[in-house]
Amino acid sequence: MGRNQRRSHNILITGATDGIGLLLAKAYAARGHQILATGRRSVADDEAFFGTPSITYVTADQSDPEHAAQTITSTLSELGWKELDLVVLNGAVGWVGPPEEESTGKISEQIDINFKAPVHFALALSPLLFQAKGRLVFIGSSAITKGRGGFATYCATKAALDGLVRSLAEEWRGRASVSILHPGPTRTEMLRKAGVDPGWKRLLFTAPKRVVKAIQVSIRRGEQRRILSRFFCFRCRFTWFQEGRL
Amino acid sequence: MKALVTGAAKGLGRALTEELLQRGYEVIAADVETERLEDLGIAHGGACSIRFADMSNTSSVLRLLDSVDGVKFDLVVLNAGVSATGKFEEIPTFAYDKLIDINLRAPIVLASSLVRLQAMAKGGKIVFVSSLSHAMGYPGASVYSASKDGLAQYAKSVRKPFKKAGVRVLTVFPGPMVTEQAEKHAPPGSSAEKRMAPEKMARIILAASRRRSRELYPGYRAYAAMLLGKTFPTLATRLMRKGIFDKLDGPVY
Ligand SMILES: NC(=O)c1ccc[n+]([C@@H]2O[C@H](COP(=O)([O-])OP(=O)(O)OC[C@H]3O[C@@H](n4cnc5c(N)ncnc54)[C@H](OP(=O)(O)O)[C@@H]3O)[C@@H](O)[C@H]2O)c1
Repeated sequence: MGRNQRRSHNILITGATDGIGLLLAKAYAARGHQILATGRRSVADDEAFFGTPSITYVTADQSDPEHAAQTITSTLSELGWKELDLVVLNGAVGWVGPPEEESTGKISEQIDINFKAPVHFALALSPLLFQAKGRLVFIGSSAITKGRGGFATYCATKAALDGLVRSLAEEWRGRASVSILHPGPTRTEMLRKAGVDPGWKRLLFTAPKRVVKAIQVSIRRGEQRRILSRFFCFRCRFTWFQEGRL
Repeated sequence: MKALVTGAAKGLGRALTEELLQRGYEVIAADVETERLEDLGIAHGGACSIRFADMSNTSSVLRLLDSVDGVKFDLVVLNAGVSATGKFEEIPTFAYDKLIDINLRAPIVLASSLVRLQAMAKGGKIVFVSSLSHAMGYPGASVYSASKDGLAQYAKSVRKPFKKAGVRVLTVFPGPMVTEQAEKHAPPGSSAEKRMAPEKMARIILAASRRRSRELYPGYRAYAAMLLGKTFPTLATRLMRKGIFDKLDGPVY
């Protein structure tokens, strides 16, 4: 299969300005791939921000899914990319607090950014994915394995993605692979952006670089669904990658 | 006893509304097709009050909440839902947006607001209507089933915090029914024989809503499907593909 050849692959990563997405983009760039990174901020100088010429950045705010999808497809055609080997839909936001205190605005925001936007992106990118028999990877959350009173809507959006993958993987079988990887608590700024400070508990979270390594291992193996447990992340430390392969 | 039913004009919502009225509930019946509820308003007088509410529109949902200000509900059934069937990439994004707003955003906004506004009676129950596709997967309606999975997870998450506020939560996973909606989305040539009548579904749901059940797979067929889906998830989704996706004619939304 083409995607395991040693060559530079075309990769799109959303939410690549911070945390897991940023590290993942840098890791793939370091292994010789071409990356289109997206996020909500504006970045003045891509090369200065990412520290490599292999990453192109475009602002695509997922709170307007339609517009974000259009921006991404037009950037892809400007870049002249006719196919996509890998798409990682990672951009997301959360809100933490009792469910009855969650405002209508926060509920809508999370549903738009975490669920609607990935649906729009999957639809808009499907022709390029089919072209390369590529892989569409959603980033979920291990929070969906239980009820979570403290971030009910966030968890609902991630469970929706989990369900989407189950059905879509079957629909697209033979044309493109569809999968979802569920990170556990990770030491990024996400919780602080969601309005809480985890305090000392942050020390118990997995380091983002371990999670990013585990994501790459799981993508390489072609797994359809994986909870990126602490133990799995630890095991992945010992995996060695060859350059120029996914 | 007071109840609120969304999507009350037809199908399961209509059956639930009728059944509740028969049992002596005062029902607030919300839908976009209010004209289809008028007969119930006439037959039951003041017991059935009809409200226009467009679940795809947040301000309409919030207006519905305003209009029931002061009422304490013993039962709320968040039933309104739509489907979109066909190949994932053949359905336009506007249909997906609307589906997600109706199936996921509206019930979350309603449940969260009702508890915040203390519009639930002590021991009141909120019923979330998910779908049997939650157990099986549903190629050919992937965003529909995703929205119902999201809703099931939301219900699971709020169970404990809502209980502290004296509100109980029940999630229902109905299988195929003999309703207009099912007719519209079923693959051509499929028989209605194995589908459940909405009136029967309504009675099973109301019986469960009086017990302490948290989750309900109504009817033995749904229960069997749930067991299959939980034991052999991949096989279940394949079967759904063979039985439905491969037979679909074209997109319906
Ligand atoms: N951290 C955890 O504990 C944890 C656990 C389980 C799952 N996850 C999942 O892992 C993924 C990455 O999380 P993370 O921890 O790396 O979070 P993060 O550091 O906050 O990164 C999230 C990324 O998404 C971007 N983003 C936010 N809103 C956006 C919007 N409206 N449009 C476009 N991009 C937007 C952010 O942009 P800015 O840089 O502008 O904020 C950032 O680049 C998410 O899907 C998250 O749900 C995280």
